[in-house]
Amino acid sequence: MTLASLAARDACAQAHSSNNDFLQLGAQAIGVVTRVSPAIHSENLTEGYLTQPVVMAHIDPWRGLLTLSGMLDFEGATIERGELNAGIYGEGYIDRRHPHTYLHELVLSSTKRFGSNAVSGVSATLGKGFAPFGTDDPMSRPFEKYPINHHLSQIPERVIGVGALRAGGWIFELGAFNGDEPTGPGDTPNADRYWDSWSGRVTFIPWPQGEIQTSYARVKSPENPAGGGADQRKQSASVRLEDAQHSGYALFEWSKTGEYAGGTQSFTFTSLLAETWARYDRLSGALRIEHTERPDEQRTTDEFRTSVPPTDLSIAGRSRWTIVTARVAASLLNKPELVLEPFVEIAHARVSPTLRPSGFDPRQFYGSSRIWSVSIGAKLAFSMAHMRMGRYGVAVSRKPAGGMGGMHMEGM
Amino acid sequence: MRKLLHLSALLALACGVEHTVTPPASPGTLATVGNGAVSERYTGEINVRGNYAYTTTWGFLEALGNAVKIWNVSGNTPLLADSLIVDFASTLGDVQVSDDGQLLIVATERSGGSIMLYSLANPAKPQLITRYTTALTDPGVHTAEVQRVNGKLYAFLSIDPANGSPARLVIVDLSTPSSPQQVFTAVMGSPYVHDVYVRDGILITALWNDGIAIWDIGGGARGGTVANPVRLGGFSTVGGKAHNVWWFHNPATGERRYAFVGEEGAGAIGFSSSGDIHIVDVSDLTAPREVAFYHLDGAGTHNFFLDETRGILYAAYYNAGVRAIDVSGDLSSCAAEARNFDLRCDLGKMGRELASGPVGVSPVYIWGVQLAGGHVYASDMLHGIWKLDPVP
Repeated sequence: MTLASLAARDACAQAHSSNNDFLQLGAQAIGVVTRVSPAIHSENLTEGYLTQPVVMAHIDPWRGLLTLSGMLDFEGATIERGELNAGIYGEGYIDRRHPHTYLHELVLSSTKRFGSNAVSGVSATLGKGFAPFGTDDPMSRPFEKYPINHHLSQIPERVIGVGALRAGGWIFELGAFNGDEPTGPGDTPNADRYWDSWSGRVTFIPWPQGEIQTSYARVKSPENPAGGGADQRKQSASVRLEDAQHSGYALFEWSKTGEYAGGTQSFTFTSLLAETWARYDRLSGALRIEHTERPDEQRTTDEFRTSVPPTDLSIAGRSRWTIVTARVAASLLNKPELVLEPFVEIAHARVSPTLRPSGFDPRQFYGSSRIWSVSIGAKLAFSMAHMRMGRYGVAVSRKPAGGMGGMHMEGM
Repeated sequence: MRKLLHLSALLALACGVEHTVTPPASPGTLATVGNGAVSERYTGEINVRGNYAYTTTWGFLEALGNAVKIWNVSGNTPLLADSLIVDFASTLGDVQVSDDGQLLIVATERSGGSIMLYSLANPAKPQLITRYTTALTDPGVHTAEVQRVNGKLYAFLSIDPANGSPARLVIVDLSTPSSPQQVFTAVMGSPYVHDVYVRDGILITALWNDGIAIWDIGGGARGGTVANPVRLGGFSTVGGKAHNVWWFHNPATGERRYAFVGEEGAGAIGFSSSGDIHIVDVSDLTAPREVAFYHLDGAGTHNFFLDETRGILYAAYYNAGVRAIDVSGDLSSCAAEARNFDLRCDLGKMGRELASGPVGVSPVYIWGVQLAGGHVYASDMLHGIWKLDPVP
């Protein structure tokens, strides 16, 4: 995890820390009430949560030569039943976002720059965290509600070994990790699955506020921890922009996951996402448009859950979700290290089956093919204003000395 | 621009996969006699005895797959006689009547896996005797094969894997139906054990990517018992995903040479399926070897039933309906043009397919099939139960 900018007013791009920070700490939590209509079987549900409660630490005693970053995530205690999030799926949850593991991230990185103020260099990272693939974790992006492509566009909570090389504006990452997804908040990666999967990411930073990445991953049996389940081949491409005044941000993302039994492809799931965020004084607004296909799997007696592992390689169907989400927030405190931000998010989802005939008819299951969601809440964060998640070492883009305040995203 | 082109190419690749099902190789059809529709649930497995058929239900359509449908099949059109609702189950994947017709056993998953034992004193009105559930039947009983070994009735339960709990086989003594007793359990399957076949004191387990394993449970002369199975041999079928087995006892020749192994690949209900039938020569139970296969483009097999007298295999082929295949004679010998690169014979190219059905209805998604009372009965996830004429 890149925790570097936890407390820094002048945090650099992608959460790079100021060089004087030996120990940085951060924490956040979001209280939110969500109403989804209809949530299931024509029934509306309204629920409240304490979500994304995390504490983070970053230790950097030798200016990047050896850094330790960690994040504890307490969602296992606060949203064990899952958070209503229409269309989302993964790790045995469906239409509710799963809680992340208690030890969300703990990585040791060693970075060697080619010169004291250079951006170029090499790094090695070992620990539990994000495989070098895809885009930033949604937790570090503008919205409280996750996009439903989380399992298409990120590979979090794995035991990873990542090597990275940066040469000017180019960043190359290659990593190995365990393919198995977590099966619960207290789960740990299976030791016999270490390094059975790999991914690589190439990032180009054409100008300080821009970032273009493309990545590829081969993930062994993610949904069956014992192995032997369907494998995944994942692709991602994105463009990320943020203005120099740190008052605007945009992300355009495409990702695709193909499922394979042996060498035979069975199904593919594709996602297109665009999101933008802008701040004016204490007010901020954000808009996200997502167009994602998801597998519809057999549900258990708790219809917000699916079998982990699944009982075979088949799915009931595949549905396409087009979700437009808008957010308005206000910062009540004018302190960079402390954020208190009430917000409202409204989402409208349109869902339709993409395999015909289909074993899953969304209109029949939900009672409508259109689903509204309203969330009202407040985020309290301490020293987490500039966080990005999913990159380590030299892959955390950095501007040459003199500081670049780019990608400072207060309140996100 | 290059990036845009690359992106466009990748997007084009994401546009979906065509699934074209192989048409019947011969003009033979399994003519439809009647259909008993189920519209509110997906239909699962089928078992027929006498004038009654029992079908299970799967997943969620308009309602949970927690119902057993009881059909009167004495007429041309199966008539729904009654339904059983099973609490604490989202899928009832398997159903079987005991060989004496006294018991109906239903497997439940997930979670809180169990088997439901019903009395068939009145076959139209099964009465619950007991629900057998233990920590070892969690999170679900995928299949329950009920067979007699040395005169005693047992249920062979294939248990789903769960987090931290691998798939396993549990064998339960049903001598006293009101009080089933576990006599054996073992972890097996990679990652699943989906079904077993029991006959003549031999147990054959379908172990997914581990292929099949053959066990002496009283008939293999190796000292094995139901409580202490002794492994005789095993074989990894081509492509793995070994799902179900039928060991062919040919009454005409006395041969017990072939085991038919169903491969269950990926599929989507109503849309697609995949997986071949693998023919394994088990003349030597300690050294089985695959000699032939049957493949359909765009469809895959699930459960099947063998008319041993006529040597006809009726295979449920999901979106390709029921396929009837001639499995008489030597399946390991074929002309060069019917031989695969790995020397296995391709039953399709050998012209072994005899007929298919039901015809004139699409889509279908056939889960199970059984020949009983001179008719072929098929359970269709989308349409309930079909009564078909067999191969003439």
